[in-house]
Amino acid sequence: MIVHTQQVTFDEELRLQSGATLRPFTLAYETYGTLNADRSNTILICHALSGDAHVAGQHSVHDRKPGWWDEAVGPGKAFDTDRFFILCSNVIGGCSGSTGPSSINPETGRPYGLSFPVVTVADMIEAQRWLLDALDIPTILCATGGSMGGMQALQWAVSYPDRVRSAIVLASTARTSAQTIALNEVPRQAIYADPNWNEGDYYGKEAPNAGLAVARMIGHITYLSEKSMREKFGRRLQERERYGYDFATEFEVESYLKYHGNRFTSRFDANSFLYITKAIDYFDMSLGRGDLAQAFTDVKAKFLVLSYSSDWLYPPEQSEELVRALLRNGIDASYVEIKSDYGHDAFLLEVERLGELTRDFLAKVERESAGPPVPKTGPTSSSAEREEKVYPLASWAAKSRGAWRLADVRKQESA
Amino acid sequence: MTPSRPDLDVIVEMVPPGARVLDLGCGDGTLLAKLVAQKGVQVRGVEVDEANVRASMSKGLSVRHGNIEDGLADFPDGMFDVVILSQTVAYLNRPLGVMQEMARVGRSAIISFENAGYWQVRWRAVSGDGSGNTLASGLPRIRSITLAQFHDALKQLSLRPEAHVFLHGGSRVQWWPSLWADAAVFRVTKA
Repeated sequence: MIVHTQQVTFDEELRLQSGATLRPFTLAYETYGTLNADRSNTILICHALSGDAHVAGQHSVHDRKPGWWDEAVGPGKAFDTDRFFILCSNVIGGCSGSTGPSSINPETGRPYGLSFPVVTVADMIEAQRWLLDALDIPTILCATGGSMGGMQALQWAVSYPDRVRSAIVLASTARTSAQTIALNEVPRQAIYADPNWNEGDYYGKEAPNAGLAVARMIGHITYLSEKSMREKFGRRLQERERYGYDFATEFEVESYLKYHGNRFTSRFDANSFLYITKAIDYFDMSLGRGDLAQAFTDVKAKFLVLSYSSDWLYPPEQSEELVRALLRNGIDASYVEIKSDYGHDAFLLEVERLGELTRDFLAKVERESAGPPVPKTGPTSSSAEREEKVYPLASWAAKSRGAWRLADVRKQESA
Repeated sequence: MTPSRPDLDVIVEMVPPGARVLDLGCGDGTLLAKLVAQKGVQVRGVEVDEANVRASMSKGLSVRHGNIEDGLADFPDGMFDVVILSQTVAYLNRPLGVMQEMARVGRSAIISFENAGYWQVRWRAVSGDGSGNTLASGLPRIRSITLAQFHDALKQLSLRPEAHVFLHGGSRVQWWPSLWADAAVFRVTKA
């Protein structure tokens, strides 16, 4: 599957959560499969910290590696390009074609560096919303992603409840934990400590690659589990039979980290790393609300939440906290903790069980949300009408025995 | 899976059409799928085994993977018309805590269990085989529940039996159920 990255530039103001604005802004994106006649089969895939728009396929026949989730996206795969129109865009703040700190600031004619405004997960999906409007896609059948991608899927369901029919959230959280913030801060410190970083002003000069490589090494540790490291590397030595009693790279695990750390510097911008990890740290769906459940009172999407048993970066308890907040609102949510030794990386690797679950879940979403898509503009249908259209069974049950959703249960109780 | 589950048909009968139903320990979703097909109900399940959760989801069901004893706390008060606990109560660590939670999240609860007062069970106990759950059988820990014990538990929780069916080998038993029924199905509600 040969794909090409496309770009769209909006000469409009993107209003950010911080109050700052960004203009113009560009998003890089890729699409797979075909948008159906009523434009209702879009699956929006959101990428994690180091991902990009290139989720699957190859850019040319000479590409050594396919996109970052090629195992899960393609004909007959978990996200089936024969049936769905798949859209993936590079986040705002990124460095793979979308506007970020390495982009040229039109006011100065020089790269933004640290003058780039801080972006949040809500800002990322706001930028994607412009892209969806440009592509004339009124509703998303499913927003999905793992890790920070899961945060975006969740944010989509909350920010645009009428445009999102379902969300599949993998290995993620509703609010970033202290441990995750800590594991973002140490990599940032590695970048700050690199003299080449120069307060973010290094474009055209030597980049802070040593700092960025250490940052990536820490990341790689958090993506694995103790068991997967033990099985993958054990105490094996690299190119040596016995200890050298020196500080050369001698354990296989050291060599692995070094290789991935260095390789990362050739494709990623250190400032983007700072901005995106900051966006993750700020992510908290309960911000400004009494408790987490209140964040989801308007959500209409069905949810599939997946966690992975050995993931210690976004452990299952955090997914369970999310699921509880969803269920408390009467939202149709399924939750599965997938048993896996792959740690956080499992969301990328355990594609067989993922495929089984996404097929069943998406079939259910399609079955239960048959009918015309909710209009993007114009008078919004009343919730009773909407329920009639979207959930015929639900509306029937609601009429005969009281509504399903918690809000209505509460109403009944106070009545 | 138990090869024959006559209690499931009784449970299906006891669920009113169109109800909102939660099945605790829904297994591979057999009962919930039956309920959807025959009663047009809206259903949710809680199930502890990952493969069973996936099997349930393949039947189009929504399931929360997890332990009944924790997972039930996720659901708000009065969210369901019926909460089902079929052939599971004997395996719980805190059966009364779960039954209380069932009464919180549902207007009524349907509970089925094997009657430990059934004469053959009593006979096994007397003849030295215990409940049949022997050291060698390796079956999970299981509680012996008699009809009298179940009634005591209901009283303690201020729950009232609305309907019941006693079974013996799949047929209904009217006479002396505490001795002749091998299984019982109760629908209970807050007293």
